[in-house]
Amino acid sequence: MIIPVRCFTCGNVIADRWEEYSNRVKGGEHPKEILDDLGISRYCCRRMFISHVDVIDDILKYYEATARKFHNV
Amino acid sequence: MELSSIKQQDNAIRFILSGVTPAFANAMRRVMIAEVPTMAIDDVIIIENTSVLFDEFLAHRFGLIPLTTDLDSYILPEKCDCNSELGCNRCRASFTMEIEAKDDMIVVYSGDLKPDNPVVTPVNNKIPIVKLAAGQKLQLEAYARLGRGQEHAKWQPVSVCTYKYLPKISIDMKKCDSCGKCVKFCPKCILEIKDKRLVVKDIEECTLCTQCIKNCPKKSCPIKVEWSEKDFIFNIESNGALPITKIVEQAAIQIGEKASELSSLMKNLE
Ligand code: SF4
Ligand code: SF4
Ligand SMILES: [Zn+2]
Repeated sequence: MIIPVRCFTCGNVIADRWEEYSNRVKGGEHPKEILDDLGISRYCCRRMFISHVDVIDDILKYYEATARKFHNV
Repeated sequence: MELSSIKQQDNAIRFILSGVTPAFANAMRRVMIAEVPTMAIDDVIIIENTSVLFDEFLAHRFGLIPLTTDLDSYILPEKCDCNSELGCNRCRASFTMEIEAKDDMIVVYSGDLKPDNPVVTPVNNKIPIVKLAAGQKLQLEAYARLGRGQEHAKWQPVSVCTYKYLPKISIDMKKCDSCGKCVKFCPKCILEIKDKRLVVKDIEECTLCTQCIKNCPKKSCPIKVEWSEKDFIFNIESNGALPITKIVEQAAIQIGEKASELSSLMKNLE
């Protein structure tokens, strides 16, 4: 849905670095380099990043579409 | 008891604690994880939430935000005599949030929580909580209180909190011919051939895995991997709610308080 606030395993706060990570991945950088750069050293925290999909972006589209439809009626 | 080899970096610390028993080292570890109190949001009153996340989901995310903790001006709710559900000024800090996405999608961050007491604020203002599409609205009140990790992990002041025995590696130079085979197999890369002799670079990094011994071609391996049961390498990382040294200090105080409580109970029996 949206990036978990903390790592499920160790409890380290990770959400604050998600935006930079996802922007840089979109920019074509290798996730390994970004994670090293952001200081995410443990593999429990690293998998939080590489396995996450921000589904909330897709769900917001449904909301916007229904809101538009509602306005047009 | 002795502290040595202290390496502190931002929110993490590594040190060697010498002259204690494994029982004491473990007690310290467990108290740091489960009993050092920190602040975290515990009650969220949602006035309006038209976002795509459920109220519970939001409340859970708020709870996990580490808050700067002031242990001098706040007390644990069970020690407070106010007996009210949401607490009083001595035992809780409150936050409010009112945010609406007008024309565009916005991201709500932990920094959008408005604290009542500026001493208790989110450690990090950049934690995304939820995304709001245009027209969606969020209005809520949040109440933070002191708690302990044993109740819920959101009150845990540390993420990593481990200790291990201090390794001792001895190499019998009479038997070793410095062939260098073990160097390749050490997963921590701490063995090295220097001036045709096998040496250990950074003994604190050794994990006691004994791969060096298993991969030595000699029948009786010249390397001996042992450990000290009196010296412990601690590795601790704070999530920012409390300074890292304060966590260790508090853990020691907590153990001391328990011991003195028991001793005064015993005194009453005399
Ligand atoms: S300990 Fe064994 S494997 Fe390592 S250098 Fe000596 S002889 Fe070679
Ligand atoms: S025990 Fe393991 S970590 Fe330690 S020196 Fe040998 S191979 Fe390296
Ligand atoms: Zn982790």
